[in-house]
This record gives sequence, structure tokens and C-alpha cells, in this order.
Amino acid sequence: MTVSVIKPGLQTTIQSAARTGMRHLGVPASGPADALSMALANRLVGNLATASALETTLTGVSLKFEVDTGIAITGAPARCAVNNDAIEQHTTIVVRSGDVLTVGAAEHGARTYVAIAGGLNADETLGSSSTYMTAGLGGHCGRALLEGDVLSFQELGSDLEQLATPDEFRLPILDSWSVRACHSVETASLSDPSQLFDTRMTVSNRSDRMGIRLDGQRLSTDIGGQMPSAPVFPGIVQCPADGHPFILSVDSGTTGGYPRIAKVARADLHIIGQLRPGNSFALLRRTDEQAAKELREKHAYWRSWLPDVASVI
Amino acid sequence: MRSAGDDLISVAVSGPSAAQGLAESLRRSSRWIDVVAGIDSVVVRFDAAIIDRAQAETRLEGELEETPARRAVPKQTIVVPVAYGGENGPDLEQVCQQLGLSQQEFIGLHTGEYTVDMLGFIPGFAYIGGLDERLNVDRLAEPRQFVAAGSVGIAGGRSGLYSLPGPGGWPLIGRTSCRLFDASAPDPFVLSAGMTVVFEAVESL
Repeated sequence: MTVSVIKPGLQTTIQSAARTGMRHLGVPASGPADALSMALANRLVGNLATASALETTLTGVSLKFEVDTGIAITGAPARCAVNNDAIEQHTTIVVRSGDVLTVGAAEHGARTYVAIAGGLNADETLGSSSTYMTAGLGGHCGRALLEGDVLSFQELGSDLEQLATPDEFRLPILDSWSVRACHSVETASLSDPSQLFDTRMTVSNRSDRMGIRLDGQRLSTDIGGQMPSAPVFPGIVQCPADGHPFILSVDSGTTGGYPRIAKVARADLHIIGQLRPGNSFALLRRTDEQAAKELREKHAYWRSWLPDVASVI
Repeated sequence: MRSAGDDLISVAVSGPSAAQGLAESLRRSSRWIDVVAGIDSVVVRFDAAIIDRAQAETRLEGELEETPARRAVPKQTIVVPVAYGGENGPDLEQVCQQLGLSQQEFIGLHTGEYTVDMLGFIPGFAYIGGLDERLNVDRLAEPRQFVAAGSVGIAGGRSGLYSLPGPGGWPLIGRTSCRLFDASAPDPFVLSAGMTVVFEAVESL
């Protein structure tokens, strides 16, 4: 049960559940940068939300299947084809042995997800099979896929149900984003919080699975370069002395010494994975209590299509 | 106790060893998704979909009142050979200029015996406290996108050992050939909080 990589794209990795409970050793979460989109792909092929699937970056991927199976594609919209026939995202697709799947470049957003029925087999290190390239953990040899890599997956236990994501659960992926965010420990050190919250910023080209730097008004804090290093998490927004804030993403470090000036609410963390250089971006200010209420509302909304939504957002 | 975000609570403590002790005892309770120590704080992440912040804070307060168990401090000493300056430590010249020291004086003050305050940032990165007061510099205003594995930085009165390649914000003064993280080993972490580290100057790696 294998699939081989014809064109790996800029950075295609196997992602699965996040690594938890090891942050105190410096081990980051990893997992899909847009966990909700990956869960939607897995849903269409009957997998658990966090089953191992592929995450592409901006440029897509091309794969050859050596066996009949079911696949689904979600996330950043891109032209996709099996052999030369266009296929749609958000539907269960049956592929035959010898078929070549091509996922094109992302037209909006940054990451497209390809799930395969049964889930990909991947190396499990430190409790997860998600790829963390910096330390070579998980995934396929701990790295992004290369041409010629052969990946294996589980055999399909039963017939695959043909599904399509209902319209109301197709995440719109556009070029302008607003995410909900709360204060963090050093927010009060900002000379003018209105330069950070409820204002438009631009996603810079310094964007990867570790973090995303934002361009906008230069911020200033009353904290110098000697803050004692403190715990950080995906979604935390830090502000170095150069005044350009950055949002930590799934592969970000676990402690850091730049002021923590905001935190993207858990409910909207998945959006960080779709930010693309040049996109417009805003943080909408919420209290912790509002954010918790909105998280529960979001879970309630999604649960009817994704019963295990709480494992990804 | 302060909020660090919608599902995070930060607790201020006196220093690295208090932070490590508290974090270990909180981890033992298994009530938190993540417990991470900083230099002078501990942050816990709770499941905001299931418990309210107020409940989480009450729970945490209760746990803070329990006496944390005394930490078993590892006795091991590890010698870390460091090649200072040049391309191994691209910021050494600038740092020395700022501090008004010659490179030889800097190396004389930086070599010696220290204690690992904590691990964090990236797998195996070690924060090492106790730097001579004369070696106190700020983090870089703009973090580097790429720092080589083994790089040794200083900032805020500490040395930091970059276990893996990646971005980093500390001025780099040298580099070691010591491997600090090995994913294939049964215990991938070479250093741990409380261990003794000795920096020794070497000409090259």
C-alpha cells in the first residue's frame, strides 16, 4: 500500500496530532499549521481528525498511487487533477493504482492538505508522528518529502463512503483575515495597544511553520532586551525591539524573551496556517471570557460535521 | 497569577530553581495540558473548552499551596569546548566593543563552571545562568533567521546553547561541537536543569 512522490513541492510534510507535554524540554507542538483544514480532509476519507496526512506549502505536490484508495483535498484552493482530469477539493476521490495526483500552487492561503484513507504510516518520535524538521522528528525521516520518497499507508478496511464537505463547513480561504486575540502577560508594556489590536497589518514574507512576522506600524514596549525568558505557545504574539511583531505558529520554540503582547485565541489558531505573504491581517480584541465562550460556540457549530473537532481547535 | 492568553495562566516565581520545582510538581498532578517553566515564571495551559478560567485559577491556587517536592538535582558535569569569535561567534567583536573588553578578556570571563537553569525554546536548548556581571548584553533587536547548531549566545546575564539550527535572537559569541540533542538516543537530551557545565576555550572545532 504505497504512494510515491513525483514532485515534492516547496515543503510537503506529514502531519498528525500535536506533541503535548514536552514543551518544558523545548519540544514544540508541530502538527498541521491549519489543523481544521486537515481534519476536514481526514473526515472525507473516514479517518480521525488527527490521522497522518500531507501538508503542502504554497506550491503543491505530485504523487503516484501504487494501489486503489480514497483521498481528499482541502485547505488552500489549488488546481488539482488525477492524471489529466480536474478534480474538486472537499470531496472523496477514488484513485486507482497508477494514477498520478497533482495538487497545483495555492491560489489563496498557504497550505493544502491531502488525506489518504486509513492514514499515512509515519515515524512516531516523542509521542507524535508529526514532522518537526528542525530536530528531524516524526513524519517521513523527520524531513520534508523529496522526489522519489515512497510512503506507505493502511489498507482500507471497508468500502469508502463518497462524501462532500457541506457548504457551511467549507472554510473560506481569501486574502484578508481577522482573528480573535486576547491580551498576554506583557500587553500592558505596549506604548499604544491600538497599534496592534483592531488595526490592519500585512503578513510579511518571513512566514513559516515557526512563526509569521507582521508588517504594520512599528510597535514599542517599555521592556528592553533583557526580559527573562518566559514560556510561549502557538498563537502568542511577540514583539522584538525592532517593533515588528511576530505570531508564533505550530513549530515555534517553547520559551522566549521578547515581550508577549497578545495571544491568538485557541478558536482561531488554525487560521495562522493559511496566512500568506502580502495578506491583510487584523487581531480582534477579546477578553479571555469572550474567547472561551466563542471557542465553545465554534465547537458546537463544527461538531455536527466533525465529531472530534475539539482535538483540532 | 496573571493571564497569558485565553487558555494560559502565568505564575511569577523567584527564579529558575523555584520555577523548575513548581513546574515539576504541577506536571505530576496531570491536570494541565502543558506546564512550562521560564526563568522566573511558570505557565500552565488548560482546556478552555471544558473548564472556566476562574475554576482553573482556583485549582492552580490550591496546587500552589501544596509544598512542592524537593527536586533531585542531577550531579553530572559536562565539559563544553567553545571556539570563540570569528565565524563561530559572529557577534563577539561587536559585543566586546559594547562591553569595553578585549576578546581575550571576554573569553577569560566566559570560560568556567556554570549551572543549567533550564531547557526550553527548541529541543535541548540550554539556558545557563551565572554570567559575570560584566558580560551583560541585550538580545538582538531583530532576531536572526538562521543560527547554526552548537552556537553559543549570551543575553540578559545568561548563556544559551543552540542545540539545533534555526532562528535565534541572542548575540552569538562562539560555537561548540558538543551534540546537545540526539533524536535517536533513548534520552535525546544531553543536558538537563541543574547540571554543571564547564565552558573551555578551544582554537577550532
